[in-house]
Amino acid sequence: MTYSEQAWLIPLFPLAAFLLLTAWGRSFRRFAPIVGAAGSFGSLVLSILVMAGGVEYRDRFDWIKMDGLSLSIGYEVTHLTSLMLVIVSFVSFLVCIYSAGYMKEDERITVFYGYVSLFVFSMLGLVLSDNMLMLYIFWELVGVCSFLLVGFWYHKPEAKAAAKKAFIVTRIGDAGLLLAVLLLFWYMPNHALDFAGIQNVFHGQSGVVDDGITTLIALLVFMGAVGKSGQFPLHIWLPDAMEGPTPISALIHAATMVAAGVFLICRTFVLFEASPAAMNTVAYVGAFTALLAATIALKQYDVKRILAYSTISQLGYMMLALGVGSMTAAVFHLMTHAFFKALLFLAAGSLIHAAHKQDIRELGGLGSRMKVTAALFGVGALALSGIPPFSGFWSKDAILSAALDHHPVLFAVGLLGALLTALYMARLFFRVFAGQPSAAAEPAHESPAVMIGPMIILAILAAFSGFVETPWNDWLSGWLLDNEAATHSNSPAVMIVSAAVSLLGLYIGWLAYVKKTIRPSSMADSMPGVSRLVELGYRIDDLFAAVIVKPYRMLGTGAKLFDRYIVDGVVRLTASAASGLGRMTAALQNGQVQTYGIAAVLGLIVIIVVMAGRRLWS
Amino acid sequence: MTIDWPILSLIVFSPLLGAALLLALPKQRARMLRWMAIFATLVPLALSLVLYVDYDPSRPDDAYEERVEWIRIPLEKSAIGIGGTFELQFDYALSLDGLSLPLVLLTTVTASMAAIASTSIRKRWKAYYIWLLILECGMLGVFLARDLLLFFIYFEMTMIPMIFLIGIWGQMERERAATRFLLYNGLGSALMLIAFVILIMTAGFSIEQASGVLHYMYSGSYETIVSNLADPQAYANLSAASSVNPLYMSDGMRTSLFVILLLAFGIKLPVFPLHTWMLDVHREAPAPVVMLHSGILLKMGAYGMIRFGLFAFPEEAQRFQAVLAVFGLISLLYGAVIAFRHKELRLVLAYSSLSHMGIVLLGLASLNEIGMQGAVFQLVSHGLISALMFLLLGCIYERAGTTSIDELGGLAKAAPFLSGALLLGGLASLGLPGLSGFVGELLALLGLFDSNQTVASIAVLGIILTAVYVLRAVMATTFGPLQPKLEGIRDARFVEALPTAVLLAFVLLLGIYPSFVTDMIKYSFDGLLNHLNTRVGG
Repeated sequence: MTYSEQAWLIPLFPLAAFLLLTAWGRSFRRFAPIVGAAGSFGSLVLSILVMAGGVEYRDRFDWIKMDGLSLSIGYEVTHLTSLMLVIVSFVSFLVCIYSAGYMKEDERITVFYGYVSLFVFSMLGLVLSDNMLMLYIFWELVGVCSFLLVGFWYHKPEAKAAAKKAFIVTRIGDAGLLLAVLLLFWYMPNHALDFAGIQNVFHGQSGVVDDGITTLIALLVFMGAVGKSGQFPLHIWLPDAMEGPTPISALIHAATMVAAGVFLICRTFVLFEASPAAMNTVAYVGAFTALLAATIALKQYDVKRILAYSTISQLGYMMLALGVGSMTAAVFHLMTHAFFKALLFLAAGSLIHAAHKQDIRELGGLGSRMKVTAALFGVGALALSGIPPFSGFWSKDAILSAALDHHPVLFAVGLLGALLTALYMARLFFRVFAGQPSAAAEPAHESPAVMIGPMIILAILAAFSGFVETPWNDWLSGWLLDNEAATHSNSPAVMIVSAAVSLLGLYIGWLAYVKKTIRPSSMADSMPGVSRLVELGYRIDDLFAAVIVKPYRMLGTGAKLFDRYIVDGVVRLTASAASGLGRMTAALQNGQVQTYGIAAVLGLIVIIVVMAGRRLWS
Repeated sequence: MTIDWPILSLIVFSPLLGAALLLALPKQRARMLRWMAIFATLVPLALSLVLYVDYDPSRPDDAYEERVEWIRIPLEKSAIGIGGTFELQFDYALSLDGLSLPLVLLTTVTASMAAIASTSIRKRWKAYYIWLLILECGMLGVFLARDLLLFFIYFEMTMIPMIFLIGIWGQMERERAATRFLLYNGLGSALMLIAFVILIMTAGFSIEQASGVLHYMYSGSYETIVSNLADPQAYANLSAASSVNPLYMSDGMRTSLFVILLLAFGIKLPVFPLHTWMLDVHREAPAPVVMLHSGILLKMGAYGMIRFGLFAFPEEAQRFQAVLAVFGLISLLYGAVIAFRHKELRLVLAYSSLSHMGIVLLGLASLNEIGMQGAVFQLVSHGLISALMFLLLGCIYERAGTTSIDELGGLAKAAPFLSGALLLGGLASLGLPGLSGFVGELLALLGLFDSNQTVASIAVLGIILTAVYVLRAVMATTFGPLQPKLEGIRDARFVEALPTAVLLAFVLLLGIYPSFVTDMIKYSFDGLLNHLNTRVGG
């Protein structure tokens, strides 16, 4: 017996934590962090054991069984899923510990840990799913947990709006994913929905399923990923989702759930490989999103929104990697991003916790007040910017190399994005931590150890986890691709160029925000319209409002009136005509309900008599 | 284990017995009346649970048949011209199959919960509970009756209590609502009656031979009618063998009967554009009555459509497949779009019912096993969810004096339990996996996708539109800052929390373990599917 056979237990630890917290309710608040963290810890330990064992295993049983077909649920351990399990449970565990400090004063801390545990359960379930339907089920569940946690401070109107938006925008993607499930169900032999079956059927374009349908299915799956992973044009929910508590932004909206789209494509990668059109779509949407979000991040002032746009951009990089066929690079970046972005968000939480402000215009000079946080944030920023030897450098390099092999335009876009990434991170870091302490920074003090501890662990990983896949070490690709040849194409030239570009970005940032030899505002002032447009995220929100929300409202109002005056009007007309007739023939309309009852009974008798007397007319 | 006592009749008539007992109690004894009424709904609940445990879906349909000769009207013998008897027959016939059982369970559970939740009724308790129990008797009878006349009587038996329950205990415009309820449902009943009479006088014909004497009869027996309709040749031979020559059932006649039945039950379902009557009921009737109305009475429409539409007229159903699908789609989307614009929560839920019943039609239109099971599952699921939602709306109305979202908001702060339940109910309604709403939706869409890809693909839009209106309604009620005038309202009392918890438990159970329902309905569609398959094969 191997640990992989017991993998189904992994999600059950946080589920138990959730049930416990829900059952106990608010009186349980002192123990809530312990229960929540213990749940994630149980998952973490077992996940590590499963991954260390390295055994692939799957098992399933019927969920709904019918005559010729059945829908099943099951779990599957592969190298990819076991790596994901470790990442998810690991970050969850750290966030649970961190939140003990961050959420300490909140009166609904039990509810908070309950939701977090439910999320961890759902996310682990998603990772373990052995088929598309089950993945869809957990896909929706992580979505609803995200919704609940974004709207955790439900009394704030912004949180309410953001939660609603997050749910509905991602649901647009989910509709696509559901359609993909429907299509797969009817086009796969034996209605199989399991990933292993999909692998067999679509491997090497076997021709079992028509090419056009394959492309359609792949694109619909991608649509689901676009919603969940914040890709253009459905990325608009993610920045608003920052209304949730910051540990949630780290866990759900940086490290785990938003990466589910990338994971989904990895799980169904064979579908995409079978369809060049779908692959190209993924690559170009990813590259476009990476660049678009990076430019917006440059013009944001809210610490968390900058990080949110950065997440969108980095997820774009992962999509780009997938689109150019390098699953390894995508998973690699998913992993390093989980570490350094979680770190950045937790560090941001630490400074928000201390300064009670998150607008970089009101912050500044926090470095002298919060040395540890500043240092840790710095590590995260360097990793994200792709400065060697930090982890982000290696994973981004893997993506850029793969992109260069595919198409120079994709490479160029990726490189430009890397420059902007370093630039916006330099801007964020220097404006928050450098210079003289601002009014908000004045009373700030370092966060408690319970918050710093998890950040230090993440910082170590953000710094060094890149070494799992380097030009001289292909452990990760070997792990993911198993026996298949690891396609390693890191050319030294790409490494040098990408490092140089990132350093250039940092240098410009340093000149602009520390030395102040460049005045970024002068550039913005020269083009106020464009500057404003970027700041508003190219008004994509407004576009949605104008093209979808408003017309839909009008349609609703129109339908409401139509229903009231036309549909019901016709009926009412008929009814009053009928009752008018009734009034002429009999005094039935006396308003007494008894009369109607009697009429019904009388009618019945009449019918029976008529039936009995059928001989008269037969 | 087999049950050798008439459990079906006991289930149907135990609420009526309770009503009779209530009649004997003095009307001032509110507490006693209430307990008595609740007890009277618990009896059929317990019995139906026994039935659930005992039920084996693979057993033949007549395993629970209870049949008593009821009405025998001799007809003119000269019509047959030979020896033997000639009668019009109606039996008291109850039977149980995989289609009835989940609906019976839904009815007994919901009725008990509605009875418990009826503490909000403030006047004339005695009469109220009596009507409620009669209503339950009628609903249970509808799902079990296997004779057309008996079915019709039970069907009407649900109407009369409803009129009183709306008209006396409703809100401001209760009488208008009651009248409209009567007009529409009366029209539906009239159509049903026409169809039934024609069916009895044609396909109801059969000849039996007993001790050398031929018995010619027209009967309301469901089995006779369905088997005659299924095998027109044997039926024609039968008529030829006798000199009775019953009304010839032409194809045109079959089609018109099918359409009439669709209309009759479509009003009840309801389906666009026959839905406007139920808006008034949802808005005016007291909350526990709407629990039953939206939770069960609407299901009678779908049940009738399956039992008398699809089962009796499989070929016609196949020919009208696209029509059913399109009307289902319209109901689904139209309801969702309008629900998004109403501010009165009761109306939001009314249109939500229209929308969710659209999914039932979509599932039925698939005419395959998975889709039709999805339709039945959706019936049960929506019954539970809408009962839950109206229970909660009743609680909110009692506290806030309104159910308009403009005057509500921030309820989560003052009443976390009610708000949490409302949110869960909303999530179930928008088809969140893990809750019952998802399964019905999924199965219906899966089924329909095989029969009609276009409609199924468009119907997937429904999952977005549903999320839009459900979240708008629920979040406007529970999220945001607390309305000042709602300050200090109390959370659910025990009598409110208990039915909420029970309904939620079922919603969860069905969502996590759908086989609880699908195992019951497993073989219910075999007859229909076999018929369609052999027809296609032959």
